[in-house]
Amino acid sequence: MRKIIALWVASVVLLSWLGYGQRDPNARCLLECHANPNLKREVAPGQFKSLYVDYDQFKASVHKDKLCIECHTDVTVIPHQRRPDQIHCLQCHYRGNVVGAPVSERPERYKESVHGKAVERGDPNAPDCKHCHTVHAVRAHTDPRSPVYRANIPKTCGSCHIEIYTEYLESVHGQALQKGVLEAAVCSDCHQEHDLFPPDDPRSSLHPQSVANTCARCHADVKIMERRGVPIKQVEAFKKSFHGIAIEFGVLKSANCISCHEYHKILSSRDPRSPIHPLNLAQTCGQCHPNASSNVARGRFHIIPSDPDAGIVFWVYEFYRWLIIVMTSFFILYIALDLYGRWRHAGRSSHG
Amino acid sequence: MAESVNEERLTQELRHELEQELDRPLDEAELQRVRELVRAQLRKELAAKRRREAATEEEYFVRFSRNFCLQHLVLAISVILLAITGLPIKFHDSAWAEFLFRHIWSLETNRLLHRVGASLLMLVAVWHIGWLMTREGRRDIRELLPRVKDFWDFVAHVKFMLGISAERPKFGRYSYSEKFEYWALVWGTAVMVLTGLMLWFHGIALAYFPKYIFDIALQAHSGEALLAILALITWHMYHAHFNPDVFPINMTIFTGKISKKRMIEEHPLEYEQIMRERAEAEQQ
Repeated sequence: MRKIIALWVASVVLLSWLGYGQRDPNARCLLECHANPNLKREVAPGQFKSLYVDYDQFKASVHKDKLCIECHTDVTVIPHQRRPDQIHCLQCHYRGNVVGAPVSERPERYKESVHGKAVERGDPNAPDCKHCHTVHAVRAHTDPRSPVYRANIPKTCGSCHIEIYTEYLESVHGQALQKGVLEAAVCSDCHQEHDLFPPDDPRSSLHPQSVANTCARCHADVKIMERRGVPIKQVEAFKKSFHGIAIEFGVLKSANCISCHEYHKILSSRDPRSPIHPLNLAQTCGQCHPNASSNVARGRFHIIPSDPDAGIVFWVYEFYRWLIIVMTSFFILYIALDLYGRWRHAGRSSHG
Repeated sequence: MAESVNEERLTQELRHELEQELDRPLDEAELQRVRELVRAQLRKELAAKRRREAATEEEYFVRFSRNFCLQHLVLAISVILLAITGLPIKFHDSAWAEFLFRHIWSLETNRLLHRVGASLLMLVAVWHIGWLMTREGRRDIRELLPRVKDFWDFVAHVKFMLGISAERPKFGRYSYSEKFEYWALVWGTAVMVLTGLMLWFHGIALAYFPKYIFDIALQAHSGEALLAILALITWHMYHAHFNPDVFPINMTIFTGKISKKRMIEEHPLEYEQIMRERAEAEQQ
């Protein structure tokens, strides 16, 4: 009899434990309210905010093993005694969190960004984390269903920046992306993800002194450029040009990549709409050099004098290189010879 | 003034000595006599000093006029300024260019200084061309024209340096090395001014010339500049500074004067000609 009782107790404990294990701890939140698609709250007269959570989406997200209350930490009883606070991703995603929430793109710098500043100012249209990452359906940026997956980024940003999005889609980068070229530049490649600063901020990837380096991340990458058949030395040549030198040493009005190439609507030089199409160059250069004529199109661009691709300029470079080597060698040899001659004659006269 | 003070002091000293020796004061006539003696002696000494000075002056020849020396001075200032402000543009990747533009002066100041240097260079070029029209200039340009003799002088000089021949070739007013430097300067200035003006007035240049001409001008400006600077720090530094004859510096281009010794050594033909001309002038 004792044995039977003991077995019964043990099985009850075990079964109830198993039952708890199988039962989702988030189930209460869902069963009670948040699984109901019609659950909403009136935020203003006639304006409703949905409080529905698509739990299937949540279970497919990176946070699938998290409990509701791990983020909504102020929720302790049901029904809520007061309206739960807005949560912030930086609760977990900060540098040095021992739990190990990923911070690969320094989300804390978001607060300093144009978007973060706008939120701080109370701009109702300013995007918070959730506008790009979604709320409960957060997926890794490597997941093709994620709004921050490379191919989806332009669309995600475009949901607010609609005009820029349409311009981008026409550009070489947008066209390539639409053809499935994942390494084509998307918004975040130039603008950064979280530390997105206005171009006049020295920290910005699009500050005049940083533009060339930003483009160089791809345009100086031999592998990417070879795969796409794009010339590789453009950025290096720019940095050697007077425009590049002037920018480097603080003359910010000097031309950088985007002064001539445009930015969102970057087009091939073969495209007649492009500012760098030979027929449009006079006008493009004319933005800064009012006298520029069609002559500016007669010659190669982005030349490195020491590179045979520079054409005639390469030959001028070679001419002077050899002239300098020959003449300087001659000068030094002549001086050595003259000194030798003086030494000889001095020796002779002192002996004689 | 100093002489009369000197004269009075000496007179009084002499008078004092004489009075002690004679043990009586000198009368007016005696004093006058002493004064005359002192004056005559001083005059003699002064004349001797002037003669000595004249004799040393004779040891020098005037090689360059003040005008010519001033041309060189302005040229030197402009070239140094151009090199200081030009090199850091050419070698913009170097640490010293970085240091210059970040701590000494801005790129914009540098451009301004380079253009000041360029203006001085163009000024001296125009000045020199004008000077070439003068009597002095016409004579000098004739002397500066390259001749076949210069080539053989060069060969003979190399032979002399090597010890193949014992005799140094005799140079005229301008040796082959001076002529070479002069014409290298003329060529270099022409290239630098022409290409430099295109870079300076690139707005106008881009209106009239194809871009590739502009690119060639830029490359030639950069190449010719380096060639010129290297020639200056080898050829010119050696001939004007480090050569044992003139070390540490040959002042002739600043003072216009050259010693008789160096004249005979370095420009024997010119020396001979000057001596002939002087002899003829004396005969007349």
